[in-house]
Amino acid sequence: MPRQVLEETLTADSIAADTALAQSGDPSAFERLYRTHVARVHTLVRRMLDADEADDVTQDVFIRAWQKLSTFRGESAFGTWLHRLAVNVVLARRKSIGVERGRFIPDDAPIDAASGKPVTLELSMDFEEALARLPEGARQVFVLHDVEGYRHDEIARMLGVVPGTSKSQLHHARMALRRHLDR
Amino acid sequence: MNDIWINRLSEYLDGELDNEERAALEAHLATCGQCYATLGELSQVVTRAKALQNTEPATDLWPDIRARLMPARDTRIAPAPARSRRFAFTIPQLLAACLALVMLSGGVVWMALGGGARRAPFDNSANEPTPPPEFRTVSNERWKVQSDMAIADLQDALTLNEGKLDTATVRIVRQNLAVIDRAISQAQRALKRDPGNTYLNLHLANTMRQKIDLLRRANALAGES
Repeated sequence: MPRQVLEETLTADSIAADTALAQSGDPSAFERLYRTHVARVHTLVRRMLDADEADDVTQDVFIRAWQKLSTFRGESAFGTWLHRLAVNVVLARRKSIGVERGRFIPDDAPIDAASGKPVTLELSMDFEEALARLPEGARQVFVLHDVEGYRHDEIARMLGVVPGTSKSQLHHARMALRRHLDR
Repeated sequence: MNDIWINRLSEYLDGELDNEERAALEAHLATCGQCYATLGELSQVVTRAKALQNTEPATDLWPDIRARLMPARDTRIAPAPARSRRFAFTIPQLLAACLALVMLSGGVVWMALGGGARRAPFDNSANEPTPPPEFRTVSNERWKVQSDMAIADLQDALTLNEGKLDTATVRIVRQNLAVIDRAISQAQRALKRDPGNTYLNLHLANTMRQKIDLLRRANALAGES
């Protein structure tokens, strides 16, 4: 068995074991799950919400996960389940603070504050900065589709819009990011 | 940028156009350098998005999470209290019991303070209350020993059963037992000064019986839960 496959298998087994232990009430096992997944959850939250909310909402995600562990049946990977739960917490947070949903970026809307530099791997923070400056609706769709890999029909259900709106938001987000990165 | 196809480039990139639309767009791309270049840029954006790295939070959030989840964990792990019947005395019932016992206790104090020096009106044999049947048929010492044993057994049982009663009931039962114990203690002290006082003996017997009744009732409630 190739080393990478072996490591992935062991990691999956370890997560499954920790999930079972956490379900039985073992906080140490849950802490290991937290350590394994916090970066992905925190990054998702930071990209979908304002950065200054990321810590609080990430905590909420893990608290919610702990409370709902008994509902995890192992039908998907724990990480997938946790990620979906994180998305739900984020979207609930958006609703609770009354952020307008579904705004479009005008075709010529600049993202002036983000520095215009060529797309290169070492300039990822600039891409992140440009992403953070997208309007909420476009940013959420872009993160869910292009970063997290959700389909438009899934995004539409989550956001309460029609798939066409999701597609349109995604295109505007890509166009805005492209223009910014082209400067 | 006003090209009608420009807004379909993302759908094309994601493979969401039907065959006819895709063929038409590809024909357009063959002749429109701007759309072709834009498509390349959008593709770069998608590639870049997939390559974004996750980053840890700047501070360790676990201590706060742990502090918050421990109460939640206790709630989740603890046996579901809602599933078991839990009994509680009504507050008026318990307050009435407390008041009655306090008055009873006060009467004993009054007797203890005044009864030794001068006969209370109750000492008049004509006015003497009728002893309870047990008291008439069993000698004082034997009855007290039996009562003490019964109380000890019931208290042991209640100690084991307290977990089945809700917190408010346990608290009020304990308060009532404390009031009864004070009444018993006062009666016993008064009897040391006047061992032959019939009323004090009857009062002690009644108070101990009340304690037994209360312990039995509390254990019965716990047993039903």
